[in-house]
Amino acid sequence: MTFSRAANRIRLIFCSILLCGPLALVSPVQADWNVPEPFAEKFEVLGPKQQVFLTSGAVLDFLPQRQLEHEFNTRNPEQIAVLVDELLALADAMGYDPEKDMGAIPLNLNATYFNRGALPTPEALREMKRTPGPFGVHRYLYPMSGVPTFAGAPVAIWPEDLVAGNVDVAIVGVPSNMSSGRRDAGNGPDAMRSLNTIALRDGQSLLEPLDVLSVVDYGNFSVDGLSTERTATRVARMVADTTATGAVVMIVGGDTSMLYPGVAGVAEVKGAESFGLLHFSAHPDVVRNDDHQISDRRAVFSLLDDDKIAGQDTILVGLRGDDLDKESLQWLRDQQVRYHTMAGIQSRGLDKVLQRVEKEVSRGPGAFFVSVDVSVLDPAEMPAAGRLVTQGMRLAEVAQMIRFVCAEKDIVGFEITDLAPMLDTSRVSTANANALLNACLNGMAVRASGLEPDYIHPLTFDHGQR
Amino acid sequence: MNSGLPLRVITGLLLLPGTGSVLAQEGDSPAAVHAPGPDMSGHIVGEEPYPFDTVDPRLEEKDPITLPERVAPKLGLLTAGDIEFLESGDARGLAGSEEDTIEALEERSPEEVKAWVDAMRQVFDNSRFQEGVDQPNIPLNTESDAYNAWRLQRPRSMDPPREDGPVALGRYDGFGGPPTFGGFPLALSQADLIAGEVDVAILGAPLNMGSGWRDSGEKATTDLRVVGGWAIGGQDQYIQIDASEVLNVVDYGDVAVDNESTERSMQHVREIVREIAETGAVPMIVGGDHSLEYPNVAALADVYGKENISVIHFDSHYDAWWGGSHLISHGYPVYRLIMEGHVRAADYIQVGLRSSGPGKSGFKWMREQGMRYHTMAEVERRGWGAVLDRVVAEASEEGRKLHISFDIDVIDPAFTPATGTPVPGGLDMREAISIVRRLCAEANVVGFDLVELHPALDPTYKTTLNSAHIIKACLTGIAMNREGLTTPHYLSPLSSEHAIDNYYGDQQYYLDATAAEDEREEAAGEVTDEQAEDLEEDSVEQGVEDGAENRD
Repeated sequence: MTFSRAANRIRLIFCSILLCGPLALVSPVQADWNVPEPFAEKFEVLGPKQQVFLTSGAVLDFLPQRQLEHEFNTRNPEQIAVLVDELLALADAMGYDPEKDMGAIPLNLNATYFNRGALPTPEALREMKRTPGPFGVHRYLYPMSGVPTFAGAPVAIWPEDLVAGNVDVAIVGVPSNMSSGRRDAGNGPDAMRSLNTIALRDGQSLLEPLDVLSVVDYGNFSVDGLSTERTATRVARMVADTTATGAVVMIVGGDTSMLYPGVAGVAEVKGAESFGLLHFSAHPDVVRNDDHQISDRRAVFSLLDDDKIAGQDTILVGLRGDDLDKESLQWLRDQQVRYHTMAGIQSRGLDKVLQRVEKEVSRGPGAFFVSVDVSVLDPAEMPAAGRLVTQGMRLAEVAQMIRFVCAEKDIVGFEITDLAPMLDTSRVSTANANALLNACLNGMAVRASGLEPDYIHPLTFDHGQR
Repeated sequence: MNSGLPLRVITGLLLLPGTGSVLAQEGDSPAAVHAPGPDMSGHIVGEEPYPFDTVDPRLEEKDPITLPERVAPKLGLLTAGDIEFLESGDARGLAGSEEDTIEALEERSPEEVKAWVDAMRQVFDNSRFQEGVDQPNIPLNTESDAYNAWRLQRPRSMDPPREDGPVALGRYDGFGGPPTFGGFPLALSQADLIAGEVDVAILGAPLNMGSGWRDSGEKATTDLRVVGGWAIGGQDQYIQIDASEVLNVVDYGDVAVDNESTERSMQHVREIVREIAETGAVPMIVGGDHSLEYPNVAALADVYGKENISVIHFDSHYDAWWGGSHLISHGYPVYRLIMEGHVRAADYIQVGLRSSGPGKSGFKWMREQGMRYHTMAEVERRGWGAVLDRVVAEASEEGRKLHISFDIDVIDPAFTPATGTPVPGGLDMREAISIVRRLCAEANVVGFDLVELHPALDPTYKTTLNSAHIIKACLTGIAMNREGLTTPHYLSPLSSEHAIDNYYGDQQYYLDATAAEDEREEAAGEVTDEQAEDLEEDSVEQGVEDGAENRD
């Protein structure tokens, strides 16, 4: 896979190493290294700091034990001392040094356009005068094509449009493009609009979401293409303002770093820890010591750490791959997060895990935010995942869970992230991303119609012939 | 990367471009000549504002207006400050010309005028940085105990001791190992470059922060090794020279970047490029987005002195934009290099410009600064041949040390579709190869970069292959330069003309020139015993290479 994946892994690994801070302390997760007897003589030559570096096990994060013992076997004491000194120097250089390191990224404070592009046009400067409310962009009553919008829905531009139209769902693009995997998520929103397969009739309930729900295309929220941090500030503000109108915001990313401002923006209006998070992803995204304050690698960590969501109300589904390490899983367990890995799904069978997730949702808070990093799907159905991981879930499985939660609970927000459309010229990945979004729209339509979450229309359930 | 890889291997991947030092320091002062400049230390650690005058001189201040008496009734609710703003040049960008402003006033009630002016003042103020409102920088997580993990270098003591010098990775006379640029041996430190008397070090720089399509990260540097491998090295038929026989060329690994901050990547790239240039080798950086031009050229200026480097910038975009909130992006490198004093604008040559910008103010600025620009409009007017000769003559002026910054979007998207911001109407590959080869032969090239390759956009590998051939053209040119083949537009008299008849009327010239070259080679071929041994070894190498080619 990719180089940056390896880099991510390193971040996780070092995070486990160096949580211990001063090297004299034993890492809480790292086993000690008991110096084998044959090496005692070479070990004794080392200074006290070097010795502690070895016996604390801190060294094992640079060299596996097998290799360390090989080095002791084959090197003379002086050579060992050189190696240990150089590794110690690495460990010392790992953290931030205010004298040398860039601790903050400087900006151009004289910029003419410091914020322009992020500023919504004030009402008094809008040239077109129109009565607030969503408006159609098509010439025809039953358009076959034209300006692509999410769900072919009318467009809303301002919060007052949402209020005037009594809008239930505002689908909005957030074209951030900072995935730590392969990048093209910036084109995700327009790719999903262009395919024109959102809010089609649901073959299970036979409902048409747009008949039941008032849905609009709410355009895109502005991003800073060179800074996730600056983008997140803007997006959280816009999500909060949108949520405050009463509409449910459905965010189409964009990379998964936008999970943080998406949930944080909703929490600002609905209240922190007032709703649950059901998050589908291959990646736990709980890197505790990332050098950036906001990134996809630490989106879930930041939400829990900043108390935007409660651990016991957080459900993660589909975890797998090399981002899973003992420390991250243990940390999630300590936060009381309900996580469901592919290892668990494969061992217990999907049905059991599905039932368990549904129970966890049912017992959880009355409201949920649902989030999908498309990496949750197997690359066979989602080759265009920015951070793809093999051996994932199937579309039908994920869609079923999404549909359930969206039918069972009040949805306060939905987000789908990290579709990198250029990686799949067949556009099947985009079609499947739309299907995941549809799963929630269909669930919401079922709920709005007062039907049971698992409702199946009798005509579609069975042909009824003897 | 499967999850079973041992840490050591993974660490090795991260730390590939290692040197003897553990951590190259961001704040290190360069080794060589420096013109005095503003103190950069506070800026580099991110605590102080950027110390240069960052106001874009090309911003044309608009003229203020005087409002006529007849609109006075509309202004009743405005404050003196409001009216001053409304008449100022600042308001012209929002309210338009005098005529537009009067029309807007006339169609509004005094209440509406007040709301309108308030809104404009709000937009004007909010567009600019406001202390106490806007974050003046982007804080990083300095609490992280792995803060510098991304650029820690693998200590030499982790591997068995070896001599300094380039390392051939293959079993068969260096071939048959993991892919390197051109199949060249690997060097990882300055000591390797010095011991190997390296002439050219090719460095991957996987920076993936361009504003167009993004895929210029490690896929670009990896694919250039995999797909471009054989294309980069080897014989050039036009010249009848094999750069790999004339020059010591190495793959210098990839430089670590932070793909969430261009700014943060810049200092480290600059250090590694400087490390190459300090040895006298030509750094060839392959990227990566065009922000890299900034650290590449700044590093050369660190070594050769400020204002001692000329840059020729091949691009469909002029990349001298400025005025946004960030201090570097792939649209800014030219401006920042000039502003920081590394290069004089008059020592910049631009070739291939054709994107929508800049407008008149940008072109006037270039003209005033003495920057030589050669747009595709000039090519349309004069023809490619005339522009080619003019550019090479300018770049080869006496005393210039030249860096070539080659954005592959200067080439037509027919040949290089896989680039972040393609623009039709560009050079074809024949034109691109010949100008790069000529420049590298006829000018004094001390640095080269090739940027903006985004392999995922082109499943045919065409773009990667064409990019590799641009690199090869420069390697061939540098080899020609070292061999003294610097006459304008040299081509082999043997390969460029069969000379079996006198079709063009100059048959004898080619026969004579071929004979003269043979004579020169023969004279050079009267060799000592030691050289004879070398030659014998060469023929063995050739045999191995032939074998390798046959296996292909």
